[in-house]
Amino acid sequence: MIRQYYASYWKEGFRAFLFIFNRELRQVFRDEGVVLFFIIVPIFYPILYSLIYTTETIREVPAAVVDMCRTTRSRDYIRRVDGTPDVQVVAQCANLQEAQEMIRRREVYGIIYVPREFDTELQAGKQTHVSLFVDMSGLLYYKAILVANTNVSLQLNAEIKVERAGNTTEEQDRVSTYPISYEEVNIYNPQGGMASFLIPAVLILILQQTLLLGVGLLAGTARETNRLHELIPVERSHHGLLRIVFGKSAVYLLIYAVQSVISLGIIPRLFGLPQIGNPVTLAFFLTPFLLSITFFAMTLSALIRERENVILIIVFASLPLLFLSGISWPAAAMPTALKLISYLFPSTFGINGYVHINTMGADLLEVRHEWDALWIQTALYFLTCCLTFRYKILRARIRTYQEYKRTRTQALAPPSE
Amino acid sequence: MTKYLLLFKREFLRIADRPVYWFVMVIAPLGVYAFFVLLMRAGLPSELPVGLVDLDQTATSRSIARNLDAFQRTHIVENYANVSEARRAMQRGDIYAFFLIPHGATHKANRQQQATVSFYVNYSYLIAASLTYQDLRMMSELASGAAARRVLYAKGVTEEQAMAYLQPIVMDTHPLNNPQLNYNVYLSNTIIPGMLLLFVSLLTAYSVGTEIKDGTAHEWMQLARGSIKRALWVKLVPQFIIFFLMGTIYVLLFYAVLHFPCQCGIPTMLGAMTLLVLAGQGLGLFFFALLPSLRMSMSMCSLWGVLSFSMSGMSYPVMAMHPAIQGLADFFPLRHYFLIYVNCALDGFGWQYATWNILALLLFAFAPLLFMPRLKYSVLHYRYVP
Repeated sequence: MIRQYYASYWKEGFRAFLFIFNRELRQVFRDEGVVLFFIIVPIFYPILYSLIYTTETIREVPAAVVDMCRTTRSRDYIRRVDGTPDVQVVAQCANLQEAQEMIRRREVYGIIYVPREFDTELQAGKQTHVSLFVDMSGLLYYKAILVANTNVSLQLNAEIKVERAGNTTEEQDRVSTYPISYEEVNIYNPQGGMASFLIPAVLILILQQTLLLGVGLLAGTARETNRLHELIPVERSHHGLLRIVFGKSAVYLLIYAVQSVISLGIIPRLFGLPQIGNPVTLAFFLTPFLLSITFFAMTLSALIRERENVILIIVFASLPLLFLSGISWPAAAMPTALKLISYLFPSTFGINGYVHINTMGADLLEVRHEWDALWIQTALYFLTCCLTFRYKILRARIRTYQEYKRTRTQALAPPSE
Repeated sequence: MTKYLLLFKREFLRIADRPVYWFVMVIAPLGVYAFFVLLMRAGLPSELPVGLVDLDQTATSRSIARNLDAFQRTHIVENYANVSEARRAMQRGDIYAFFLIPHGATHKANRQQQATVSFYVNYSYLIAASLTYQDLRMMSELASGAAARRVLYAKGVTEEQAMAYLQPIVMDTHPLNNPQLNYNVYLSNTIIPGMLLLFVSLLTAYSVGTEIKDGTAHEWMQLARGSIKRALWVKLVPQFIIFFLMGTIYVLLFYAVLHFPCQCGIPTMLGAMTLLVLAGQGLGLFFFALLPSLRMSMSMCSLWGVLSFSMSGMSYPVMAMHPAIQGLADFFPLRHYFLIYVNCALDGFGWQYATWNILALLLFAFAPLLFMPRLKYSVLHYRYVP
């Protein structure tokens, strides 16, 4: 008897789950706004961003040269700077004023000034100076011009040192240039490029933000179309809190599981971004991430009254969220208050964990901190989601009952003359 | 005249009535200002965590480590036993870089053989990596220089002679107008106007679209005596005023209180802000004319607005982008605002060098004039579909 009751309970529960699942899935594809955010943006945006940053770093920054020295050595210096991949010497100016005018017209982004005494000072065994004037409208111009000149000057310095040392063997030459030599290793992003640094973070953020937008829009539509403007309609199929929560979240999870494979698996491959993570590790890591963003989105969606307001609030948060993740501005330099706020959002842990696994080849053990945090968020947001939905269901029922009573009293009341 | 007043009154009531307006026009911009001021208060980060793998364990290697720790931007948080441990710490995100002194380095240096030290920098955190890289490289140069200097002093040369020998050519770098390389100057000056632009265009589309959604479009047009221009004009003026005030707060806060580089003076930046707000409203109207549905036009505004941070060329120069993308940059108002700001405020050049950008922003502002008939048609005939 009891067993039968439970059997029918589960059967009915499952049927209701399927009903809600189907309905939500249809709703997703019926709404052009939701299709835009669930399907088109997560595919189209990563491609666009990858195209923007695909060259990874800037090469051949145009620079002007003011060579007051005009000797073999100064020309050698300039030729070597021109020969670096970072800088291209596009003009030889007679004086600084002329070069400045070129900066004003944005024809060059930096000036390399070689003073008149350059060669004579070197011949006399004194120190000499080369001046760089760099337009600071972009840090990358500065970096390119500085790196090119520093490398060339270090190289020339070494040669001058050897020249003066009067060594006999090559080993002596090496030691006198660098008694302790050093090598620099760029790991995980060998070119030090923008795409390899920014795109992985943007991919995760796009997943979160589009899900938030889509779920918010769906909830807004549900409110606007349902009777009495309630989020959850009072219907036979819509009783049982867990059925509703699971039925809806299953739809989002299903779509975003596919989207994750596309944007985290295929896009990095298409654009040659670093991808040294183990796919299984990544799948393990993404599970709590997708769960937490789903329940986070559903909790938020319950709080939103009008569907279009979702766009205003969530779009506004995108850029600050990117900064809060600490991928660009180092988390080590962030004020504590902002760090605490950043712990509220799945993207913070999602971005760092994904970068560690995908770009840096970390194991699950190394992203333990992020993984734990995402599970805690999953539990927390599942709870808040259930609570808000519970509240919404109760309110919908109470309002329906009141409405029913009102219409009944109206119907039963004697017609007033 | 009274019709105008009625129309204005209606608009103010709509704004006062809906919290969304207040959120987008006042709270969100103020929040953004506070966020970026707070985030980058320090200008440049300092004491970034790096690791050390000292396999040599001699007085010299320890002095190198001590010197490195003394640098402003790096802080050695841990001494790892081997490279694998340091790599794992990096993968956990504990450190941004580590310095490796191999076994026998001091011994080699003392025997007049060349020893090699290395540093590993994790460039998947680009900014942190660039900053630690500078210190690590400087340290390596110094270590080498210190060793050579000891030899030279022993031979009896003076300091000046030693320096001339060690570093014959010195670089004098002049980062024009941002001498401390303040990162905040470089980010906030474009990101905050970009956020404002996003809010302006979104709210413009929203405020026109809700007329259709609420079914008040006919009443609105009637009050404007059937002129879409009049109706829009009155609708957008109050928003313009409030957004311009928010922009003024931004300009005053950053250029007058925080003293960001502003060669051209505050009035010019207020002018640029005016153009920015106008261009944002033009963009919002343009998208609404293109896609006369509240949701789709707002979505377009947000997609465009979010992209414009990248397309402005602030962090990644346009000339380095994929050629297919480069031409698109001109279609983003933020790109023009960015160039005006760089030209006038950062570099202090005359406005005539930014003439094209000023014209472009004006073009954005007045482009919707071409679409007035279409706007009128859609306002009167489109129905809101939930």
